[in-house]
Amino acid sequence: MTQYIFFSGKGGVGKTSMACTQAVRYADEGKRTLIVTTDPASNLSDTFEQGIGHQITQISGVPNLWAMEIDPDQATKEYIDRAMAPIRLAFPAQIVQVMEEQMNGPCTAEVAAFDRFTDFLEEPAGNEVGFDVVIFDTAPTGHTIRLLELPAEWSQSINAASSGSGQTCIGPAAAIQDAKHKYEHALAAMRESGQTSFIFVLHPEAISIKETRRAIAELSKLGIKNYRLIINGIIPPEGAENSLFAARAKMQAIYLTQIEAELPYLKQRMFLLAGEIKGIKRLRQVGKIFFDKTSSKTFVAEHVPPQLATLATPLEDVRALLQPNGHRRTLFFAGKGGVGKTVASCITAVWLARQGHKTLLLTTDPAAHLGDVLDSPVGDVIAPVEGQVNLWAVKIDPKAAAETYRERILEDARKRGRPEKAIAVMEEELNSPCTEEMAAFDKFIEYASQDEWDSVVFDTAPTGHTLRLLELPVDWSKQLDVKIFASVDSSAADDVAKQRFGKVIEMMRDPEQSTFSFVMYPEATPILEAWRAARELGTVGIHPGLVVANMVIPAGEAGSSFVNNRRLMQEKYLVEIGERFGLPVAQVPLLPMEIKGLPMLAELGERIYGTEKVLA
Amino acid sequence: MTQPIPISVLFPSQAKAVDVEIFDPPMCCPTGMCGPTIDQTLLDLNEMLMILQSRDISVARYQMASHPNAFLSNGEVMKIVREQQMAALPIVVVRGKVVKVGSYPTQAEIEKHLQEAKP
Repeated sequence: MTQYIFFSGKGGVGKTSMACTQAVRYADEGKRTLIVTTDPASNLSDTFEQGIGHQITQISGVPNLWAMEIDPDQATKEYIDRAMAPIRLAFPAQIVQVMEEQMNGPCTAEVAAFDRFTDFLEEPAGNEVGFDVVIFDTAPTGHTIRLLELPAEWSQSINAASSGSGQTCIGPAAAIQDAKHKYEHALAAMRESGQTSFIFVLHPEAISIKETRRAIAELSKLGIKNYRLIINGIIPPEGAENSLFAARAKMQAIYLTQIEAELPYLKQRMFLLAGEIKGIKRLRQVGKIFFDKTSSKTFVAEHVPPQLATLATPLEDVRALLQPNGHRRTLFFAGKGGVGKTVASCITAVWLARQGHKTLLLTTDPAAHLGDVLDSPVGDVIAPVEGQVNLWAVKIDPKAAAETYRERILEDARKRGRPEKAIAVMEEELNSPCTEEMAAFDKFIEYASQDEWDSVVFDTAPTGHTLRLLELPVDWSKQLDVKIFASVDSSAADDVAKQRFGKVIEMMRDPEQSTFSFVMYPEATPILEAWRAARELGTVGIHPGLVVANMVIPAGEAGSSFVNNRRLMQEKYLVEIGERFGLPVAQVPLLPMEIKGLPMLAELGERIYGTEKVLA
Repeated sequence: MTQPIPISVLFPSQAKAVDVEIFDPPMCCPTGMCGPTIDQTLLDLNEMLMILQSRDISVARYQMASHPNAFLSNGEVMKIVREQQMAALPIVVVRGKVVKVGSYPTQAEIEKHLQEAKP
C-alpha cells in the first residue's frame, strides 16, 4: 500500500527542505518515492538543483526518487477549460464571459491544485508500477477540504440543495460533478491513519505555534487524525557563540517548552543551519543531522560572496512614502502570517505619532497581538494609546463584526416578516468565511473614511480576493447592465455600497494617498510568496510602494562563521528583493528579544526610518 | 475525466418530471447572501420555493456552472438563451412549459401556472 505524507506549514519555515530531506532518505532506503508540490513558492528545482516542471521527473543521483512541480496557473487553466468546455460550445459569448469571470477566484485555483493532487492518491491502473511513498510538499487546508466535500452534498439532491444547505460559494467545485468519486476516494485515503500522515513544520515562535494549533484543529474537524511535528530553526550550539543568537536561543527554549506542553503529537527537532539546503549532497547531510543526530556542524554551507553594492535605501525615500503629504496617508502592511506585519505597523505608527501626525493604528487580524507589541491594551473601540501622544489604536474582530452584520441582516429579515424557517436557512448561509471577510472590511471602511486622522496604519492589508469580491457586483452592473434579479430596493442598497466601497478602493489605488508595504524575511520562499500576493493585488489596480525586510542580521554581528554565513545569505536575498520589486526597502534588524513596548518601538522607528523633526 | 457525462447519469431525476424549474443567471451563490449587499429578490424566491416544497411540489434550480446539461437538454430554454442572452435569465418552467423569461415569478404567478398545468 502506498504511504502518503503531507507537509504543512507557513512559507519560510523550511517545509520544502524537510520534505525533500525525507524524500531522499526514503529513496536511499530503497523505497520508490515521489515528491509532488503545488506550492507556487516552493521550488523543488532549486532544492534538487535540476529542472523538474509539470511532469514526473527522475532525480539524478538518487535512483528511487522522482519529483513533479504542478504549475498552479497551468492546473487552474486546465481545470477551468475542462469545466467550461461544454458551456463554451453551447452558450452565447456574453454568458460565457460572465461565467469565466466568476471562475477567476482563489477558490478555483485551490480546488484545481488539489484536483491534481488527487491524481496521485489513486491506485495505479493495471500494470503501471506505483510508488511506495508519495510526499506532498503542500498539504491542503481545511478550507480546501471543505470545498471538496461540498459537491458531494450538493449532488445528493437538487431539491435538498435548493432548501439551503451547501450552497455557499461552491461554484468552482460543483463545476465538475464527475470528479466526485475521485475526491471521495482521496478524502478517505487522507483520513486513513495507517496510510497517511500530516507533518507540520513550525518554528519555536509564538505565531508559528498558534498557527499550527489552529490548522490541526481545523483538519481534525474533517476527520484527519495522524499528525507529527517538525520543530525547525532551532539555534545550534555553534550559533549560540554569538551573543545575539545566544539570546534568541534562550527565547526559543521558552517556546520549546510551550510546544512540549501544548501540542501532544510526535515531535522531531531540526537545527537552523549555516546556509541554504540545496543539492543532493546537502540533503543527505541534513538527513544525517535530522535522522541520525549527527552534529549540525557537519553541514557544509554554500559559499556566497559578499555583496559590494550598498543594500540600504536612502531613508528620505522611505520617509516620503510614509508621511502624510498634504492629505491623509493610509499605510497598509501586507504579507503572510508570522513575517512581522504587526511589528512593522507598530513601529511605523509610533514613528508617525512621534513626528507629530495624528495616527490611527488598526488591525483585522483575528490572531492580532497588537496589544502585546504595544504593551498596552487595544480594544474594539478607538482609544488613545497610553504613553504615546498622537497615537490611537483599535482592533477589529472579524468574528464579532460578522456577528453584528449577521444580526443586522436577520433582524431586517424578521421585520420584513420572513418565516422562521427561511431565517434559519439564512442564518446558516451567513456562517461563511465570506461573511467575516466582508464584515471586517466593512468595519475597516468605516474607520478609514474618518477625516480626523493624518495617518491611518493598517496591520494586515485586504487581499486581492477581498477586493475583487467587493468589486464584482459593481463590475457586473457596469459591464452587462443586468439588473434582472435586483429589486428596486436592493439596487438602491447596491448603489450606496458601490459608492462607499468605490471611494475607499479609489483611495487605495492612489499612491499619493496610500502606500502598500510588503513585509518579508530576506529568504527565497517568503520573497516569492510576497511577490505573488503583490501580483494578485495588481489585478485590482493596487501596486506596492515599499518593502520591509524583517529579521535582517546587522552587518556588525558577523563574527562567527555561522552568523557570517547567514548574513551573506541574507545579503544575496536583499539584492533579490531590490531587483524583483524595484522599490525602496526598509530593514528591520534581527534583535536579541521580542519587539515589545513603546520605548523599544520608538527607538526602532528612529533606527529604521531616521528622523526629520523634533520628536513629540 | 474530460468526457462530458451522459445526461441520464447526471440527472436521473429528469425521468420523473419536476414541477417547477428555475434556470438561474450565472451568479456567485444562488442565495443572494454573499457579496456586500443582500439581494432581497433571491431571499423572496428561496422563501417561496420552500413553501412550494412543503406542499410536495417538486422544485429544482439550475446553475449554468454546475448543471449545464439541464440547460442543454431543454431545447426551448436554450433557444431563448441563444436569442436573448443574459436578458433571458432567469427562465421559469412549470411542468415542462416556459412560463416566465427574464425575471423571477411571484407566488401568485406560480400558483396560477400550476393550476393551469395540473399533472
